[in-house]
Amino acid sequence: MDRTNCNDKSPDEAVRRPNRLRDRIHSLKNSIRCFIHEARTARGGARVDFLGRLGLFIPAVVSIGIIILVLTFLWYESTPILTSPEGGPGIIFETTWDPNRDMYGIAVFIAGSFMCTFLAIGIAVPLGIGAAIFLSEFCPHTLQSVIRTIVEMMAAIPSIVYGLWAYVVLVPFIKYEFAPAVQSNPLTAWMPWFGGSSNGLGLLAGGVILAIMLLPTVVAVSDDALRSVPKSYREASLALGATTSETARSVVLSAAIPGIGAAVILSLGRAVGETMAVLMVTGNSLQIAYSLFDPVYVMTSIITNQLGYAYTFDLWRSALFAVALVLMLMSILFTGAAKLIVKWGMKTRGME
Amino acid sequence: MAKGTTIEVKNLNTWFGRKHILKDISCYFEDNCVTGVMGPSGCGKSTWLRTINRLNDTVGSFRMTGEIFIEGKDIYAPTADVYSLRRRVGMVFQRPNPFPMSIKDNITFGPKLHGINDGDELDEIVETTLKKAALWDEVKDNLEQPGTTLSGGQQQRLCIARALSVDPPVLLMDEPVSSLDPLSASKIEDLIVELKKDYTIILVTHNVQQAFRVSDRAAFLYLGELVEFDKTAKIAEAPSDPRTEAFITGRIG
Repeated sequence: MDRTNCNDKSPDEAVRRPNRLRDRIHSLKNSIRCFIHEARTARGGARVDFLGRLGLFIPAVVSIGIIILVLTFLWYESTPILTSPEGGPGIIFETTWDPNRDMYGIAVFIAGSFMCTFLAIGIAVPLGIGAAIFLSEFCPHTLQSVIRTIVEMMAAIPSIVYGLWAYVVLVPFIKYEFAPAVQSNPLTAWMPWFGGSSNGLGLLAGGVILAIMLLPTVVAVSDDALRSVPKSYREASLALGATTSETARSVVLSAAIPGIGAAVILSLGRAVGETMAVLMVTGNSLQIAYSLFDPVYVMTSIITNQLGYAYTFDLWRSALFAVALVLMLMSILFTGAAKLIVKWGMKTRGME
Repeated sequence: MAKGTTIEVKNLNTWFGRKHILKDISCYFEDNCVTGVMGPSGCGKSTWLRTINRLNDTVGSFRMTGEIFIEGKDIYAPTADVYSLRRRVGMVFQRPNPFPMSIKDNITFGPKLHGINDGDELDEIVETTLKKAALWDEVKDNLEQPGTTLSGGQQQRLCIARALSVDPPVLLMDEPVSSLDPLSASKIEDLIVELKKDYTIILVTHNVQQAFRVSDRAAFLYLGELVEFDKTAKIAEAPSDPRTEAFITGRIG
């Protein structure tokens, strides 16, 4: 067996990343070969080290395996609807959901989820980034740790608690205060997104409660990104005569943008998948919202609400799994996008 | 054109918390010459340097007494403007710290901050400062490249160019070559000698030989005390204090 390849990697080879598929397969083969070789020949301390690494390799494989299993399972369960004449992949563009007539268009839920999510992001991101900048750049030291602790606690509150609060506080507020106010004010009454009658439950309530739930994540991750900007950048900027706020804006924020972008997209993924609080306040009506006060139906809600009834009907159940599949793919997409953004940001700034 | 300026320090005492860092320092930095500040690690060299552009103000536990005059004006006077002070006192740090932006943006950062927005003017500043920092020939074709992708020595020269971009009469250098390889270090030493024609330079270093090579005047700081401050040649040949002699011959430090 050729053992030189296992240990004596030339520095060139160690640094270069395998780019082409053939290279990757080759290096994968090589590492498996070396692995077996090591398993056979390692003795003494090397053996202990090898077993230790093996012990850590197993949890890694298990976690990846679980994700793959879940995806396969979702795919398997949603095959009936995706292959049947009533359904097919086209259901993601169909807007009629009527299990009695075997119509399973899921576009309403996708649209509902998207609107709710982007409304929430639109509220949570500016607020959260602002709070994070205050926290890391301007906040007095003693206050800093108090606020950080509170933010962490906010992230740990169960979503049902947020939902309950929204149900008794936010929903009535929208119904009796906010909606009448904007609809009677001539400055805002003409706006189409303030049209329609409001019973409080709907897109706005869902978006706001989701924003409140995302806020701690956005603040915490952005704060981390801002804090990891080296102190030397701040000092260099101050030494050039910049004020603290100029430094925060031009240097710190610019250096932290990749990390903040990742925070935004990760919270996007979380927002799409959020269930309980949203279910309680969005009104759950099978329609596409044209106004902030219209009720919406999001993907997670339809699964939670109907799985019990649908379980014995193959197509119906399968359609719900298709919704879950779309949900999961969206989350994966968002996470992937987050990684790409971070990578791109690091590259254009030369921070690797 | 000699346009450096003089700096006078009177009875300077500083503390971080309860720790007394600098002890009653008084001295006079001549214009257009390089003053080398030597001393073992932790003796307060950097703290001293950072009192001159008031960068210590950003540290919460910092306290000081005494006065520092630049061009006859007390920079710690209640009416003094710290931002225009820092514009007039450039600083180069121990480790190269270019901003994570393009080379050009690194240079134009300071001028833009102070209200220069004209494209041609900025381009001219980029060219002249990079030439002064002896970096222009190496980077003139890659001005849009991130500054952080340059080599360590180039990065440090970029930082010098950035400090020069706002045209300060004073340049503070805090061990600017200690993290660089010998070749880059000697390039920057040559540059320092070149720059003293236009700037008053204070160079902090723990390297005695470097201080002797580069500086016109030298200060020796030991445990927060200014032990000796004189012409470099005088200190190199006949130091008047035994502690200075011990330091330059390598017995303490």
